[in-house]
Amino acid sequence: MASVSESPYRLLGRRIPYVEGPLKVTGRAEYTDDLQRPGMLVGRLLRSPWPHARLRSIDVTAARAVPGVHAVLTGDRYPTPFGVLPITHDETAIAVGKARYIGDIVAAVAASDERTAERALSLVRFDVEPLPEHSDPRMGVSKVDEPIHARGLAGSNVQKEVVQHFGDVDQAFARAAHSVRVRGTFAGVTHAFTEPMATVAEATPDGRLTVYSATQVPHYLHRALSEVLGLPMHRIRVIKPEVGGGFGGKSDPLPHEIVCAALAIETGRPVKILFDREDVFYTNHGRHPTQNDVRIATDADGNLLAYDIEALIDGGAWSSFGTVTTYYNGVLSMGPYRVPNFRYRGRRVYTNRPPSGAMRAHGGTNIRYTIEVALDRLAEEIGTDPFDLRVRNALPPDSTTINQFRITSSSFLECLSAVRTASGWDEKFRKLPYGRGVGLGCGFYISGSNSPIHFTPKMPQSTVHLKVDMDGGIAVHSMQADIGQGSNTLLAAIVAEVLGVDLDRVHVQRVDSDVSPIDLGSYSSRVTFMMGNAARRAAEELKERLLAAAAELLGRPAASLKVGHERFELSEDPSVGVPFLEALHRAMETTGALTSSGSYQTDPRGGAFKGAKAGTAPAYSFAAYVAEVEVDHETGEYRVEKVWAGFDCGRPLNRLAVEGQIEGSIHMGLGQVLGESMNYRGARLFNPSLLEYKIPTPQQMPEVEILLVGRDDPAGPFGAKEAGEGPLIATLPAVGNALYDAIGVRFTELPITPDRVLRGIDRRHAEGRGWKGR
Amino acid sequence: MASPDRVSFRLNGQPVEPSCPPERILLDLLREELRLTGTKRGCDLGTCGCCTVLVDGRPTLSCLTLARLVDGRSVDTIEGLSPAQGLSPVQRSFVEHGATQCGFCTPGFVVTATALLRRNPHPSRAEIEGAIAGNLCRCTGYRKIVEAIEAAAGGR
Amino acid sequence: MHLDPFELHRPTSVEEAVRLARELAGRCDYLAGGTDLLPNYKMHLNLRPHLIALGDVRELRGHSLDRVGAAEPLADLEADPEFRAAYPGVADALGEVATPLVRASGTLGGNLLVETRCFFFNQSYFWRSSLGFCLKADGDKCHVVPQKERCYATFSGDLAPAFLTLDAEVEVAGPSGRRRRPLSELYDAAGDGIRRLSLAPGELVVALHLPRAARGQRGRYKKLRVRPSFDFPELGVAVAGRWDERSVDRLSLAVGGVETYPRRFDELTSPLLGAPLTTDRVDELAEAVLRKVRPVHNTFLLPDYRRRMVAVYVRRALAEAREGGAAG
Repeated sequence: MASVSESPYRLLGRRIPYVEGPLKVTGRAEYTDDLQRPGMLVGRLLRSPWPHARLRSIDVTAARAVPGVHAVLTGDRYPTPFGVLPITHDETAIAVGKARYIGDIVAAVAASDERTAERALSLVRFDVEPLPEHSDPRMGVSKVDEPIHARGLAGSNVQKEVVQHFGDVDQAFARAAHSVRVRGTFAGVTHAFTEPMATVAEATPDGRLTVYSATQVPHYLHRALSEVLGLPMHRIRVIKPEVGGGFGGKSDPLPHEIVCAALAIETGRPVKILFDREDVFYTNHGRHPTQNDVRIATDADGNLLAYDIEALIDGGAWSSFGTVTTYYNGVLSMGPYRVPNFRYRGRRVYTNRPPSGAMRAHGGTNIRYTIEVALDRLAEEIGTDPFDLRVRNALPPDSTTINQFRITSSSFLECLSAVRTASGWDEKFRKLPYGRGVGLGCGFYISGSNSPIHFTPKMPQSTVHLKVDMDGGIAVHSMQADIGQGSNTLLAAIVAEVLGVDLDRVHVQRVDSDVSPIDLGSYSSRVTFMMGNAARRAAEELKERLLAAAAELLGRPAASLKVGHERFELSEDPSVGVPFLEALHRAMETTGALTSSGSYQTDPRGGAFKGAKAGTAPAYSFAAYVAEVEVDHETGEYRVEKVWAGFDCGRPLNRLAVEGQIEGSIHMGLGQVLGESMNYRGARLFNPSLLEYKIPTPQQMPEVEILLVGRDDPAGPFGAKEAGEGPLIATLPAVGNALYDAIGVRFTELPITPDRVLRGIDRRHAEGRGWKGR
Repeated sequence: MASPDRVSFRLNGQPVEPSCPPERILLDLLREELRLTGTKRGCDLGTCGCCTVLVDGRPTLSCLTLARLVDGRSVDTIEGLSPAQGLSPVQRSFVEHGATQCGFCTPGFVVTATALLRRNPHPSRAEIEGAIAGNLCRCTGYRKIVEAIEAAAGGR
Repeated sequence: MHLDPFELHRPTSVEEAVRLARELAGRCDYLAGGTDLLPNYKMHLNLRPHLIALGDVRELRGHSLDRVGAAEPLADLEADPEFRAAYPGVADALGEVATPLVRASGTLGGNLLVETRCFFFNQSYFWRSSLGFCLKADGDKCHVVPQKERCYATFSGDLAPAFLTLDAEVEVAGPSGRRRRPLSELYDAAGDGIRRLSLAPGELVVALHLPRAARGQRGRYKKLRVRPSFDFPELGVAVAGRWDERSVDRLSLAVGGVETYPRRFDELTSPLLGAPLTTDRVDELAEAVLRKVRPVHNTFLLPDYRRRMVAVYVRRALAEAREGGAAG
């Protein structure tokens, strides 16, 4: 395995500016709300003001009578349930029978303009029966009056329960020399991408439906539209314009997307639904409010003996990805350390709150915080350095976890040693003055899911098509979804790398289900790995044909040729060669435009027990971060001064994009620590706005030093693994543990707002525990 | 002064006089009436900076500006800050430094940064961070945006 | 988010503006920078059918060290080094208001008169309708302190505390002419989050006047909030005065962000005059201010914490107060 510090490639491994950058800096990139269609109507949604209510009847007569109103829809018109996971279809486009949270969609209208639409909605009359409000997941685990969904476990609001046990945890704790128990409590957080959701739909007289939407997963939207609207997929065309950020929040098929299409079908006119920021907050699907209890046991030397984990997860009103969340809160603790005994019980409970779902580093963030804080405590109890404890227990490369995850490449140890040196850890840990501290946090994440939501498990997860015509431009088609992370750039760069051409020859086409071969889209940090492999294969196929044509022109065997820059040349004498275009034109003489296709499917992974596929991935990323903080012990305010980010993403294929993902992940992870939270009182969200939902500002960003220490992954494209989600995870515990080093207080409740910091210091004083002489 | 139901101003250097009821917001006028969609709608309440335009050279939240009140003034949007060919120095620097990810906040940042560098051609890092403190970016963690603005300043 | 239709008036003089406001009494709002009013209008908070835009009233613009026009953008004050140097506490506050983009349009008058804020008030029509409206808009009860009499919405301007410490005066134009009165009297200490100002219907704040003695004092404004931009104050403490190791000649302290109006604490500061500002005296002052304020739970941070921070911020504001320039 080669070190990745030097790139053997012409493009890959360097800093490649985003191909669509010039369009974005000039405002020319086209997002869904930028689209206009002739005769387009405005679609508006009526949201439930009730947290939980039976909808006895709905009268839309007056709303329909408003001049300019073209359609008013209620839930009974398209009642087919859907959901991102095939096993938990519990959503409907518009509420049917019950409203389940404040913000649930209860009616929709298409009208000539916004004002008319709102007027119509104000005239919809409801006869409702208020039902008990369920907002505390602790109360939802046993039988309740009027559960939110009929499918809750045994009359409760439990949507999913996962119980796993590997090895013998009780026996391990019985012989443990050290053990700790930490309860972590996490407020919900949300993606807060800058582009509010928007959808444009148009049903045309040829019996087809076209839907443009701000989505991360055009393919899942395509399937949900087909299911709910009762149209075969081939009569629906899904187009993804530029997407202004997703982070998981645009990965479920969302009800408003279906409603917009339904309104287009009902009216025969194009319809646009654009969200207000408040709508975005109610749609949520963010990180779950969670409480987790973590017990960890080690022997006298600090070798991990067992994890015993319980998680109680507030799901909100729907399932969304929740079954996966419930598994991930357990199984994503299987790295980056070797855990010989493991027990997990996770329950996700429906509440009358906006649904939670998948958010960047889905399922791996909250549990990781608690584990890393627990390890920090253990290190202190054992009297060992937190780095040494982690080195001792690091999961080695080419190993198998107790739940049968196969780990291939891992540079976790290199991550640890790189940040230990760069941060000056040994000179700082427990040695900085009171109020200043350093902390270590580590992370581990899937590089795509081995068992995605798909038609059949054998189908490729990603397919890429290439077409080259006489102009020499290479059109690339794939349903991978660039939502800002730079996947279009990577796709173009891989194709250009393999074919030896300049990047400007390669044109990545807009995602359009009519022409884009299916790729499962941007979630689970799968794109680089899977699309990258598919793209490489598609390009290799073209390369073979071009080499053959060049060989003919040169009268030499193809095997004696290699790819040069914009030409094909003799390996032994690169001065003899054929320009790209000449080879291309020769190759086209019999076939016309050259096309090729590459696809990627994961190898089978995982054990045979129930839930064994959850968390299996073709590769895993690893991280070790150190944060340095400065705490104002009088006010509880603190500043994260610097983060050293040691990350193993295999070979970074676009350093600019990898850095961007890491810096952005640190920002987002920091938000969850510093003050981001979905502030509920009961079922009610108190801060559905960007003023009161506290995304960190430029001045809150720490200095970031990135240390990319991975090696080539054997199965990743050009050795690459993911860098989109894993980089978030380690941020949180690094800061939490740094706060401990600074002021001697363990924070197990996020966000860590200044009032909580101060309360923590008070508590320490009350307990009479000194820290660094204070 | 425009006729009573219109507003007359210079938009990206050209005089325009669209019809405009009193309650029309500048952002809506630009995006919906004048079809200048480079100016983005992120929150509609002045809390994200995506809709920033220049009014008489001053960065302005177009979502909190009544369109009628730009009467007689000069409005520059991201389209107006973009040369006919190629990119402005700020734009080029944003591209080269990877300061865009999803791109939705980018026009607002470019407008804010352009105004900053006109006012203060050699800002310190703290001045840059201060100047962009009204623009939210959820993708980049701001580091590459700050670097891009620093480089654009240095390159002048 | 569109605005409901209204009639827009564009007077060109103070007198015309005041006349319009009198004619439209109770049915109009003045509009300056719009950064406070328009978000509230978008949320359908206390809409009026007439807006009187002040941008064409020349008299409201411009500033000197003595006088600041009410419609002067905050950014223009911030950009004036002489102004900042003369009034260091005000300079702090200017840099702390919302964001640079808000300050580019937002005006002095707008910040002095900024609408009081509350989690139950600053919400959309939909949000408020789902809970039941509150005293301050469309309803008849308070959700913060459940009762039907008093509104607890918090005064959330940054500049008022700083200017209060300088004995600033406001010039107010009304139907019966102009008058000047202390800035502190602009706010209704006996009122609440709704009846928060002493302005009569139609009265217009024209300018803020600064006495000669305001210059060159020490000054500091410190603001508590979660993020260094965007957020309204969870607490704002301003101090100004003249003191050295031996003696306090003048000392003034004002607090915003915790009650329904910005409040000056002369009764606590005047006993300190003529004596040295010792650590003990500062601590006593800080604790005394803390005892006087009662924040409620209607902002992001908890009220106990905000209250506790009053003492810390008072101590720090005094310790960090800088000497103002441009004296005399």
